[in-house]
Amino acid sequence: MTNHIPSSDPAVKAMLPRAKECGVETVWDRYQAQQPQCGFGSLGLCCRNCMKGPCRIDPFGEGPQYGICGADRDTIVARQLIRMMAGGGAAHSEHGRHIALTLLHMAEGKAPDYRVRDEAKLSAVAAKLGISTKDRPVEEVARDVALKTLEDFQSQDYGTGANWLTATLTPRRLKRLKDAGLLAHNIDATITGVMARTNVGCDADPTNLVLGGIRAAIADYDGMTLATELSDILFGTPKPIVTAANLGVIKPTAVNIAVGGHNPLLSDIVCDVAAEMQEAAMAAGAKDGINIVGICCTGNEVMMRHGIPLATNYLSQEMAVLTGALDAMVVDMQCIMPSMPRVAECFHTQFITTLDENRIPGALHVSFDEKHADEAARKIVEIAIAAFGRRDPKGVRIPDIKNTAVVGFSAEAIVGALSLVNPDDTLKPLIDNVINGNIQGVCLFAGCNNPQSTQDESFQVIAKKLAAANVLLLATGCGAACFAKHGLMTGEATEQFAGPGLKAVLTAIGKAAGLGGPLPLVLHMGSCVDNSRAVAVAVALANKLGVDISDLPVVASAPEAMSEKAVAIGTWSVALGLPTHLGTIPPVMGSQTVTKLITEDVKDVLGGYFLVDPNPETAAEKLLAAIKDRRAGLGL
Amino acid sequence: MLPNPEPIRENVIVYTDPERCLGCHSCELACAVAHGEGLGLLDSVARRLPLHARNRVVVGDGVTMPIQCRQCEDAPCTFACPTGACRQAGGQVRIFEQACIGCKLCAMVCPFGAITVRSEQAFDQNARTHRGVAKKCDLCADWRVANGKAVTACVEACPTGATRLVDLKVYRQALAEARARELAQSHRHMRLPV
Repeated sequence: MTNHIPSSDPAVKAMLPRAKECGVETVWDRYQAQQPQCGFGSLGLCCRNCMKGPCRIDPFGEGPQYGICGADRDTIVARQLIRMMAGGGAAHSEHGRHIALTLLHMAEGKAPDYRVRDEAKLSAVAAKLGISTKDRPVEEVARDVALKTLEDFQSQDYGTGANWLTATLTPRRLKRLKDAGLLAHNIDATITGVMARTNVGCDADPTNLVLGGIRAAIADYDGMTLATELSDILFGTPKPIVTAANLGVIKPTAVNIAVGGHNPLLSDIVCDVAAEMQEAAMAAGAKDGINIVGICCTGNEVMMRHGIPLATNYLSQEMAVLTGALDAMVVDMQCIMPSMPRVAECFHTQFITTLDENRIPGALHVSFDEKHADEAARKIVEIAIAAFGRRDPKGVRIPDIKNTAVVGFSAEAIVGALSLVNPDDTLKPLIDNVINGNIQGVCLFAGCNNPQSTQDESFQVIAKKLAAANVLLLATGCGAACFAKHGLMTGEATEQFAGPGLKAVLTAIGKAAGLGGPLPLVLHMGSCVDNSRAVAVAVALANKLGVDISDLPVVASAPEAMSEKAVAIGTWSVALGLPTHLGTIPPVMGSQTVTKLITEDVKDVLGGYFLVDPNPETAAEKLLAAIKDRRAGLGL
Repeated sequence: MLPNPEPIRENVIVYTDPERCLGCHSCELACAVAHGEGLGLLDSVARRLPLHARNRVVVGDGVTMPIQCRQCEDAPCTFACPTGACRQAGGQVRIFEQACIGCKLCAMVCPFGAITVRSEQAFDQNARTHRGVAKKCDLCADWRVANGKAVTACVEACPTGATRLVDLKVYRQALAEARARELAQSHRHMRLPV
């Protein structure tokens, strides 16, 4: 399907003519050039798992119905799908492993640039993992937390759930997963298991394959959760903070450094170092010193913790360079377009990769490891300051477009705000309002951008519809960035778009929290890895009510899903019991069996299910219906 | 007495059923290879031959299908060609490449955008000429003879059978017979008043 409106973001609309003027090819040009995209791949009917292939199944029934090995459409579709889940799980878990190893190295005194910034979080995590904190030095507790976490990459006890699963899910959910054989014991082993069973001549049963994929998605949840929680220990648990979002946060009078990718390990240190190097930047002629801006989920990480403004989200990362005012863009991993160095080449912008396993041709590589973090960060800031001197002021075009965003709603921050309403029973205000119907339910927006739909459009259409129907909105990842850019993370947006019940609740909490007005319409919970924060809130509610997650009027939506990571997140969301909307049609339609498995049959086993609908209007109605259904189940 | 003029038969065309086209581009690859140097796809790519497909899979209003020369019976390209290189011959609109100068007039007047001027030589910045000539679907005339094929390379390559060679006479006959069968059913229950 061709798409004629690339983006609903006014800053992108302002920058696209600039791309043309500079002869810079953008993601939307490449999307058009790829049309039409192969239908076999779109349907999931192309198999490249062995060298007898590629094999294709004719969806219309006249051509081949079996791959050369004998695999039918169901086997082929299921194998492709679960490899995507494993890919997403691998990405999140590598991120988590990196954080866990940094915590361990820090505790052992081998990563001197890191410290425990949130001792309360460390204690809370230790308690969750059954680690004693009494009269023990912080480093010792941190070391135990790291080692207990790393067991989730090492355990060979297939029958026992990984530590972080046991520590964070409801008892009923744990039992349900265990009974279905889905309680992952070890992240690495589970992902390897998917790669093994999808090898030629192994598992051919579509149901069994999909179950293997769900187990990997549960491992993905484990990896994400440990990444979020340990990041909070090292860098602080986010608290509400006021900042701004969209390309207008780039300053013509400052050395602008964009941090992009997903991991706080380097970006957080860059923020520290930049604060120390302001004078050097001013000496180089930058009146306003160093201005760090975020792109994608690294941006969300530093936005949540330090109020660093966010320049843009995934699909428009090229636009940030096109302003001509980015002196450096430094990236770690995931969702970084390989086209970025080609765009940067047209300007003075230094495009810097930092992870040895994530290099991009044309980029400057500054090797980063957690044992020399400060050194790498310093070098990067120096490169940016030097590049500032080469900036052509006549070539600077920064659209004057940005919106205020109140962000930083970790699970702890949400509970904290509620405790100001009722200090004795923190969750009671939320539960009471769900019961009395002021809040009908909760929707978590997650996931990416995808040029198949108009950038940021579906997120906003669905959110406004749900808010008007008194649904509490949470967001992470590029979804959260979309809402921040478009001014929906403000109290004003609550006044404008929230239904009366929701508005009353958000206003009461906002006033109790001393904001002088309502909480934002959409609560920013963090990067995509931080979807685990939303689960923490849901689990707390379920435990308080003595029910399971699948009983709650909580739904999830990824209207512009793109990455394998989104496939993994969507799948664990389903496996944890949530009706989960996808606005992108996943490559499964070639098999009715697999399509039915993930949209219908899975409901009986796990309570959650995929709800696929590219149309935001009807998708919103379906999400509302799912919430009503859940409320009815609770007798509300 | 004048001799009976020989009736002109419509040219055969390549037709794709958009309902069955999945946009996989297999027809493009097959076309390019069939008009190459007799090598397969992998060898052609390995030798970096500048192969060129004469069809192009496009998408519009949600419909996907390859577009190629429709072998028009009153083809604008034949009028536009200043050298007479483009003319009806052998059941198709043919481009006689040795007479083509690559002026692109045919490409401009083709209502289907089915003609491209291309060179089969590697680019040489010192060369006096690109040696580019007009290329379009030739119904795989040479390839079919050389390989003993009844259909074109694109038809052969289509994995869903969406692309077919259509002889309009056969096509019309089939349509007419199908409708006649339907009408016959109805007429069985009908008597016209005298």
